[in-house]
Amino acid sequence: MTTQRYERLYEKIDASLKDRSASDALLRCMKRGRDTRAAALETLPGGTAFRNDVRKAKERCIEDLPRLKKQFIENVEKRGAKVFEAKTPADVIKYCIDLAKERGATHLAKSKSLTTEEIELNRPLMDAGIDVVETDLGELIIQLVNEKPFHLVFPSVHKMAPEVAKIFEKATGKPVEGNIPSIMKVVRKYLRPIFLNAEIGMTGANIGIAETGAICIETNEGNARNVSSIGKCHICVMGMEKIVETIEDAMLMILAHPVSASGQLPTTYVTWMHGRNPLGEGDGKNARESHIIILDNGRTEMRDDPDYRESLYCIRCGACMNVCPTSGIVGGHTFGHIYPGPMGICWTAAVHGLETAGNFAPLCISCGLCKEICPAIIDMPHMIAEIKHRDAKKHGYPLPNKVMMGADKAARLGSVTAAVANFSLNTRAIRKLMDKTIGLSADRNVPPFTYPTFMQRFKDHRLKVVAPQRKVAFFVDVYANYNDPDLGMAAVRQLEALDCEVVLPPQDASGYPFIAYGDLDRARKTAAGNVAKLFPYANQGYDIVSIEPTATYSLAESYPHLLKNNNASRRVADHTHELFEYLNKLEEDTGNAPMSRSLKGRKFGFHIPCHQRALGSGHGAIEWLRRRGAEVEVIETGTCCGMGGTFGLKAGLLGHKLSMAVGDALFDLFKAAEIDAIVTESSVCKIQLAEGTGLEVFHPLQLL
Amino acid sequence: MNAEIKFDFAECFEKLSGVAHAVPSEKAAVDEIISIITSKEAKCVALANLPKKLVTAIEKRCDGIKVLKEPYAAETLPAAIDEADVGITGIAFAIAQSGTLVETTTNDAVRLVSALTPTYIGVLRKADIVNRFEDGSARIREIVKEHDENLVISFISGPSRTGDIELKLTLGVHGPGEAHAVIIGK
Ligand code: SF4
Ligand code: SF4
Repeated sequence: MTTQRYERLYEKIDASLKDRSASDALLRCMKRGRDTRAAALETLPGGTAFRNDVRKAKERCIEDLPRLKKQFIENVEKRGAKVFEAKTPADVIKYCIDLAKERGATHLAKSKSLTTEEIELNRPLMDAGIDVVETDLGELIIQLVNEKPFHLVFPSVHKMAPEVAKIFEKATGKPVEGNIPSIMKVVRKYLRPIFLNAEIGMTGANIGIAETGAICIETNEGNARNVSSIGKCHICVMGMEKIVETIEDAMLMILAHPVSASGQLPTTYVTWMHGRNPLGEGDGKNARESHIIILDNGRTEMRDDPDYRESLYCIRCGACMNVCPTSGIVGGHTFGHIYPGPMGICWTAAVHGLETAGNFAPLCISCGLCKEICPAIIDMPHMIAEIKHRDAKKHGYPLPNKVMMGADKAARLGSVTAAVANFSLNTRAIRKLMDKTIGLSADRNVPPFTYPTFMQRFKDHRLKVVAPQRKVAFFVDVYANYNDPDLGMAAVRQLEALDCEVVLPPQDASGYPFIAYGDLDRARKTAAGNVAKLFPYANQGYDIVSIEPTATYSLAESYPHLLKNNNASRRVADHTHELFEYLNKLEEDTGNAPMSRSLKGRKFGFHIPCHQRALGSGHGAIEWLRRRGAEVEVIETGTCCGMGGTFGLKAGLLGHKLSMAVGDALFDLFKAAEIDAIVTESSVCKIQLAEGTGLEVFHPLQLL
Repeated sequence: MNAEIKFDFAECFEKLSGVAHAVPSEKAAVDEIISIITSKEAKCVALANLPKKLVTAIEKRCDGIKVLKEPYAAETLPAAIDEADVGITGIAFAIAQSGTLVETTTNDAVRLVSALTPTYIGVLRKADIVNRFEDGSARIREIVKEHDENLVISFISGPSRTGDIELKLTLGVHGPGEAHAVIIGK
């Protein structure tokens, strides 16, 4: 990434950090989205099980897309609508302008369509003399001020009522009171003639059904109903990935989309159009028409590219935006081009170019949360890593990212030269220099290095189990090895106390920073190396137990992905366990319940590191602490603490500063909670929470 | 296990700010409809997709109120229906789990009646309520099979709503701000 590119991004981040009013509104919106989703899932039979169904349906329909598209087109035409397959944005623009000219139409009412935004359709239509009006309230506000959507579902969430009132004052030329009921009356009145007089109604489609040739349009406001029923000519612009096979598939999407976005099932209105209805009697059969434009614009290439294909599973629910930590602070104008948020990186890369996506992809801190909330379980974190990787091939990696990717080597050196290294880390002047030169934030309290390392100490460790019941291959990762060998040894003792034979297989650090910063060549190499080293153990019946959540996530989730689910990586993943979930199980199996309730009377606030959400969400550690008498409360905002692995260790806007802004809301919760201390299993979250809250932060093992 | 859950349409519809009226007979349905029309002080009512008998019964009771009904002359639309204060349409079936009324039609005049009016009333039979959301699929397939060409199916789950300004839920921005379901059957 060139310096210039970085500077532009810095400026934008800086501006959002200085004026938090927009991001405060956005954060409220995101939280609402997450909360309502969670509440809806409580009442939905099967809970989150629908995600697997959506995933399967999308996999099947995209795999079969050429056939389904053909079937869809045949059925649409049978029902009397016309189909136009558009390769490029220019094709759509030309088709619409020609059609409007032929019909002598100059008034076009539009309901929300991200696909038309993708190709920036409004401007050229207006330049051709067509009066285009967005009728979804949020989109209309955005159109009137000539902005791009701030959020996928709530495009104008950053505009407060008084500002909106001003916008409509300008549009109507009449005074508008700055409260929502008054604004609504004005909007209804303003838009009514636009609906009634539209010659062309333009909609998107959330779904196309191959089986029946129907398109489904979802709205809450009902504007798409007006738009699709009044104008003589209806145009629907849809991405070709919206085609599903059956009515059942459509019903599934109609549920999954709003449940994920806003906890509704379904949106207030869903319009299933088959062909075009007449309006009233006596106009003759052909008076009204419907044109369905199926857009490619790079989708065929996406489908053919195994690294991009999953993007086509996106149903545009916006849930990933509701959870993405950095997008929540900087907003969709910075974290996005036209498509905002996590899916915005993927879709931008595919339809607006790698270069454009690369401009904001560094904002992704690879927390993995978007995948965990996505109804189609799209692996955005890895797709984004791929995008960063492709981008870096052209532009290289910025120095701070290189430093973080070399953290393992640095730690090795730091440990050997512990005294010197720690002196440097504790010396303000040297830290300032490091901040400036290599981008390690001077304001971070980084843990000191120790010598000997865990690995060296383990060599001298004699097995203390007489009749081992289980065999454990221990995976240690950077922190417990170089910074806190005591912690590693404590874990080993716990395992041994429960009759495990613990061995330390040869291993490298998990290498997650390679994924986070998009060096997939080295990520793959590390993954292959570790899998090769661990596979023989998995094969010999060893359970692999890891102490660091990100390392467990790497072994269980990332490596199989990086290694294309090969047999060895699957096997290693299947044998990988989180430490506490494993200890609990052993306690149950051996009947070896903890002897003392030594933590009785103590109350801890528990922090779930993001990567743990894909695993057991900390249930293992929480249960383990409770068995020892502790009172444990999970304290969470539903998103990240801001550290994002090593992201928050970096200096400046694209590091420490943004990281602290992300963490703010969580810090407040911890500070307000009545707890003795914070507990988390992640070594980096620990640094973040200690700095952000001023409270003590422990690893569960440190409490004994 | 999930299949056992029995959803209550009225309860789910009301959670979405709709108003459900369970009535034992068509006669009682007319009473209910008239009482809504009266309470809204409606001057004009638009009807569509309803059985003839019901149309006649409603019309009879609409003293001094303009009643629009099918067939709607194409040249009067959409303006004519835009005049109506209350729109009433017949509903093909409803989904209890999601509080959804499903309106089907081959003429968009019907859609305007349920979309443009400030107060909307959907009329359905109790027997036409399916339980789970996915139960709707089979009904839709049947309906679609009956029509080779044009057809529009509309899911209506409560009144028109938006949260686009400050995320505050506001009803009736474009469509009806009030949605009623009159459910006929014992
Ligand atoms: S991985 Fe995390 S930071 Fe990256 S896009 Fe997804 S939610 Fe955002
Ligand atoms: S990527 Fe997933 S969560 Fe994000 S908008 Fe698409 S479907 Fe929704």
